[in-house]
Formats: sequence, C-alpha cells, structure tokens
Amino acid sequence: MTNPSDEITVEQLLARIDRQEPVLLLDVRNEEEYGQWKIEGRQPVASTHVPYFDFVEDEIAATAKVPPHDGELIVVCAKGGSSAMVAEILRGSGRPAKNLDGGMIAYGEYLQPVDVPLDGADTGRFRLWQINRRGKGCLSYVIVSAGEAAVIDPSRNISVYERIAAGDKARISRVLETHVHADHVSGGPQLAALHGATYAVDPGADFELKLRADPLGDGERIDLGHVTIEVLHTPGHTPGSTCYLVSGRYLISGDTVFTNSVGRPDLGGHAADWARLLYRTLSEKLRSLPPETRVLPAHYAGVSEIGPDGVVSARLGDLRARLPEFRASSEQDFVDAMVRSVRTPPESYASIIRTNLGAAHPEAARMTEWELGKNECAAHPQH
Amino acid sequence: MRKLDVRGAKCPMPIVKAKKEIDQMKPGEQLEVVSTDPGSLPDFRGWAQTAKTAILKEQRTESDPGGQEIYIHILERK
Repeated sequence: MTNPSDEITVEQLLARIDRQEPVLLLDVRNEEEYGQWKIEGRQPVASTHVPYFDFVEDEIAATAKVPPHDGELIVVCAKGGSSAMVAEILRGSGRPAKNLDGGMIAYGEYLQPVDVPLDGADTGRFRLWQINRRGKGCLSYVIVSAGEAAVIDPSRNISVYERIAAGDKARISRVLETHVHADHVSGGPQLAALHGATYAVDPGADFELKLRADPLGDGERIDLGHVTIEVLHTPGHTPGSTCYLVSGRYLISGDTVFTNSVGRPDLGGHAADWARLLYRTLSEKLRSLPPETRVLPAHYAGVSEIGPDGVVSARLGDLRARLPEFRASSEQDFVDAMVRSVRTPPESYASIIRTNLGAAHPEAARMTEWELGKNECAAHPQH
Repeated sequence: MRKLDVRGAKCPMPIVKAKKEIDQMKPGEQLEVVSTDPGSLPDFRGWAQTAKTAILKEQRTESDPGGQEIYIHILERK
C-alpha cells in the first residue's frame, strides 16, 4: 500500500522548484505525451524521461537509466497510476522516490492564488487576487471589497474562489467573463448559480448563448464595495471580448492583450473580420488608457512572464512600445499579418466553446481530457 | 487467439497484464487486448519497441454497442 510520505502534491512540488530546491523529475509517460507538455517551474528544473512500460518490461534495466541526481526524485505520469508503480520499483531498489499525486491532470488543474500588490491609494480599499493555473498558463481573478467579491474568468474547479471569498469574509455577488473561452471550460455558470451571483458574458454576434447571463454595456460601471469596475468592450479575440478596468488602474484584459502577445483572432473561423475588430480595439480603446495602467491578462505562454512578486502583469505603456501588434503601419497590414499567423487550434476548442455557450453538457472526464496541455490563445506564442 | 479484457483499467495495468499473459504463451501465439484507455495506443506502441517477448501486430479503434470507444491491440509472442 502507498504510504502518504511516498507522495507529493503539485502544490508542494511547484513550491520546491520555485524555491530552487534540487529535484529530479522522472517523467514516465510515453514519448508523444512527454514531448507535448511538461512541468515547468519558475526556476529551471532537471528532468529525465524513461517510460513506465520500460519498467514493466525490465525493472533493472529501466532503473539503471535514471541518472544520479541531487535532492529528491519525483516520478510523474498522466494520472499518477504508472508513476506510483515506478516510484515503488525505485524505492525497492534503494532509490528514494516520490510519486506526484494525480500526475499531469492534477498539474493542469492546480490553481495557485497570488495576492496582487496594489498601489498605495488602493491598499486597504480592496484586494485583488490573481489565480494562476500554472499547468495551463490560465489566469483568473478575484476582487474583494467590503464583504463583496467578484470572480473573473473562473476555472471549472471553483472551490479555490469560494475559499478566497470565505477567507476575506465576502459573498460572491458577481461572476464576470472576459469572453467565451476556447481553451478551458468555465466554472462561471456553476459558481454564479451556487452563490446567487449575477453572471455576465458577452457572446458577440457570431455565437449563440444557451444559458442565462446579464449583459453589461460598454462603459458601464459596477460598484463592488469600495471599488468601481468599469466595463470596456474590446472586440477582437472574440467579437464579445470585454476588459474590466478595476479602480481605473488595473486592466483585467482577458485574451485581448497578454504580456508578450495579443489574443489570436482566428478561433471562431472569421480571422480577417475579427482581426479588423482587434486592430480597432488596440489602436483606439487601448490607446486611450494611461500608460501606467497595469495589464492583468487571462493567459501567459511561459513561466518567464511571472514577475518577482509572483504576478503575471505588465504596464500598458510598455506593451504599446514593445509588442509589434501595437505598431502595425496600417489596419490592412495588421489584418494580413494576423491572417498569415493562423494555425490549427487544438481539436477540443470547438467542443469547449459549445460547452461554455451552454449548448453542450459533457461529463467531467471529457472536460478533463479536453483541457490537457497549455493554452494556445495567443496570436504569436513566442516573440 | 487469446483474449485479454482490460476495459476500465487505468495505466499501468493494461500493459502489466498483457506482459504477464504474453510471457505464459508459446512463440507465434496471438493475444487480443481490449482497452478503454485512449493512451493505450501510444503506450502499446512504445512498449513493443523494447519488448523482448511481444510483437505488436495491429491496433484499431472501434465502438462497442454502448457507443464507448474501445482500443484493440493484437500482440504475438516472440
């Protein structure tokens, strides 16, 4: 039987890697899965690959393939079953090894809350949490002020949002989406229903929403305790894309702008039309905001985008200077560049969109399968 | 042909059981493994590359009468 000390959770593992404690990851998935998606920490992590079926075939030969190392040996597979077997084989041959509980599925679902440091004038008026889904590079948010909480872009595992609201003694009164997501199934409708909160998502003209939502107008102001959230319509990544400007300073930007790219406009099959909308959003609406506006996106592509304070964010002024998407010479050039960058989205994205529109109700195992791997929502994943 | 039903079993069990079965068979004998785990397709291919006693002859995906996808692997004892 498994001893609890033979297991390590994703939270414990990431904390060790982030603190630069020596760890060797032994990934025992097949080559295909290992090539597609791996565990990343904020510090580089040593990793090696010996598939579990090599251990089934010949324990001694496979054990000999695991290189000598400093620190702890952590075995990883897709769901935590094969890695538990391999860890046991290794321990049996005198090599202390721990199993990553729940494997890559747990890694992909783990949510890490980060308390965003606020400007002096905002401190004490509200709290802003960035919830980092490390395995997928997805970010969601909780804003708390005077006993009220708004949750933006929640993942399917909603308990973390409930824990944060409870910890800050707040009632979840609003659930807001920045857009209809394609890379992960939203926990929004369920979270809103359970807490009697209003639910806002704008499907735009190209999608038909099959669930109940209260639309928010461009420029509308939401009062949440002592803080105001301004609604900004920012079509482009999707025609219904919306940003939320918190206290005039923090732009929850969804997939409109990231810290190293902008949102790809081709996920609905109308790349040129949506790219035109995105150009106008970037060149008009996001031009008009002050340069010191702090952009807090819904995704990131690599751990290098996580700042020293643990937050993924950037100054809007810096992004306008740095990202080529803000410096297109004309609307047509921008649209042409976006259309050229179109690449096939993961197969599951169409099913996830249907689910988030309320048009499909798949079982949990299906959704878990669809959400495997990192998000692919940026126009140019790497600059 | 021998049959091994590992429907519902999660990895590593399909390959652990297939190896056990294969090792008891005579050279040239075949084994049909039926799995419900889509990951069994690349895993059986990977295992067969180094397996000392098994050759992977064929893999196919079918739907069972309930509409569930099943993955069939035909192995031969070396």
